[in-house]
Amino acid sequence: MSGHVPTSSAFKSNSQEALVNRNLQAALRGSRGNFIAKRAAARANVPEFDDIRDQARDMKNHVLANLDLYLEAYEKKVTEAGGHVHWAETAEDARRIVLDICRKSNAKTVNKGKTMISEECGINDHLAENGIKPVETDLGEYIIQLRGEIPSHIIAPAVHVTVPEIEEAFRKHHAHLPPDRDLSELASLQAEARSELRAKYFEAEVGITGANMLIAETGQSVIVTNEGNGDLSQSLPKVHIVMASLEKIVPTLEDSATLLRLLARSATGQEMSVYTTFSSGPKRSEDPDGPEEYHVVLLDNGRSNMIGTEFEEMLRCIRCGACMNHCPVYQSVGGHAYGWVYPGPMGAVLTPSLIGVEEGGQLPNASTFCGRCEAVCPMRIPLPKMMRSWREREFEKNLTPSATRYGLGVWAWAAQRPWAYRLAARIANRSLGITGKSKFSKLPLAGGWTKFRDFPAPQGGTFMDQWKAGKR
Amino acid sequence: MSARDTILARVRDAALARPEAATNREAQVAERMTVGPKGIIPHQGQATGPQKLRQFLEKLEANDTTVTRVSSEDEIAHAVARELRKRNLPAAIRMGEDPMFHAQDWGSLDVSRGPGRLEEPVTLSRAQFAIAETGTLVLTSGPDNPVTLTFLGETHFVVLRTEDLRSGFEDMWGDFRKRGLDPRTVNMVSGPSRSADIGQVLQLGAHGPVALHLFMVG
Repeated sequence: MSGHVPTSSAFKSNSQEALVNRNLQAALRGSRGNFIAKRAAARANVPEFDDIRDQARDMKNHVLANLDLYLEAYEKKVTEAGGHVHWAETAEDARRIVLDICRKSNAKTVNKGKTMISEECGINDHLAENGIKPVETDLGEYIIQLRGEIPSHIIAPAVHVTVPEIEEAFRKHHAHLPPDRDLSELASLQAEARSELRAKYFEAEVGITGANMLIAETGQSVIVTNEGNGDLSQSLPKVHIVMASLEKIVPTLEDSATLLRLLARSATGQEMSVYTTFSSGPKRSEDPDGPEEYHVVLLDNGRSNMIGTEFEEMLRCIRCGACMNHCPVYQSVGGHAYGWVYPGPMGAVLTPSLIGVEEGGQLPNASTFCGRCEAVCPMRIPLPKMMRSWREREFEKNLTPSATRYGLGVWAWAAQRPWAYRLAARIANRSLGITGKSKFSKLPLAGGWTKFRDFPAPQGGTFMDQWKAGKR
Repeated sequence: MSARDTILARVRDAALARPEAATNREAQVAERMTVGPKGIIPHQGQATGPQKLRQFLEKLEANDTTVTRVSSEDEIAHAVARELRKRNLPAAIRMGEDPMFHAQDWGSLDVSRGPGRLEEPVTLSRAQFAIAETGTLVLTSGPDNPVTLTFLGETHFVVLRTEDLRSGFEDMWGDFRKRGLDPRTVNMVSGPSRSADIGQVLQLGAHGPVALHLFMVG
């Protein structure tokens, strides 16, 4: 089978492994906080930031309410510019379309700019199975391709990889280079990747990129990068394929400015990413460079079914990654524990929508509901609310483990009978207090807690008792 | 039914099923598609006069673009040669067919014209516009300025007429439309290429240029 086989249903065991993986924890410690501080500084420099968020939310809501009309307008413009739009209902359709285009161009090598839609569709495996070599050119994607992994973050795909692990991968895969070369500096690692990939840009027959936006006014696709790899991937080969999901539409160039003002600031804390490129059609007749063919693969893969449901707002997502950068769960277990393409809070909502609640239903439980994801989301997506909706659906479908269901049943019974709830709280309080200990390293039914930290002994009476006694 | 028709029908049905679905959706979309600024332009994107220029220079510095200012187009070739010497670069440069560059006397400089090649120590392009809001250069692809020169040059030189500097995205796109441009790519460039994928430490010079230098004319 092509594509990444999801392991999202094993989130619990995935995350237990992640917590004891020393390299992963070291990498997560190294990046923790960086993104948060940079975003906060960038946001503070724009007093109008929250108003721009409102405007972006409203614009995208309008687009989703009229998406059929915008898609038709966009397609018309692409065709006028000499490009081709291919509609893909499923990931499998997208794989077939991409392979067909590659075969028609007799492609042996395909260069890839960073595209999450390609990850979602499992394009790399599918091309490789059919004798075409995919080469990831984004530095982070290149590193994980060498390591045989999938991205663990949507904008920093190799954030889980430590520097020594990168050196190890380069020494193994760049075996034609002198084994005694010095790779002790970060700069020497980056320079080596740059020179290895430079030649590959000229070899590929096809270049595949994603799209941060599709502009209905002009039929342009937009990519936003810092490395310049996406532009080399789309400018040097004969054929450029854009892989985009259909909700990426914005009406006009001015609307693209609204999203650009939010995207880089929310993602990396930059005011603008280094390269923002608007592309339309193949090269013009007088152009000395650029591709001869321009194809857009428009992917649905379950998104049109989200329109009009409680999960529609997820389609406003611009894939900045701010939610995972601010998520205590993501920051503890990393992206791979989520088991599929999209990690963090946005992944917890999107994954069950795209691959089903049976497979992805565990992910919405990976939240403390602290609400930071919603607080920083540039598109004001109510992520916790949607995770709650998924939990309800999981419960309704009887997918929740029986111990959890039983526990929730007991709790619900007590919660509806205040006398019982207070009595139980008082008994628990007294019996823990009677031991004379200040903390517990083991407690019945709380092994999940005490395995990693002590449980503090209650001080004084229950909250309700203290409240009644006038302690306020 | 084709995949296209199936998807569009599903999207349309969902749109029409909304309780608040408008009866005049076509008219609303047509109205929304009329171009021009409609929304919030942050203060930072509205600077004018000397403040606009000052802010642009600050933003360039912040994104690691270096700058030389020259008073007229006649001085470009000289300034380019001087910058090459200053950076200990070979006296050779690759560029497109931009009339501004054809009008220069390049002297002893080894000038070649055409798209980018595998090894390009220094390339030269002209920007159509620049944006003071973010310190961004706006280039358009074509024979005058082949797009690959922007990404393959190890050092990228760009010329900008100061009169082409705009305050923000909105006035830039407005004037872009007025010039009637329809290039295959519009490239917004905000500094030399960079990556933090190795050890989460930002390093300049990923796949694109290691250095970006701007010559501002006038």
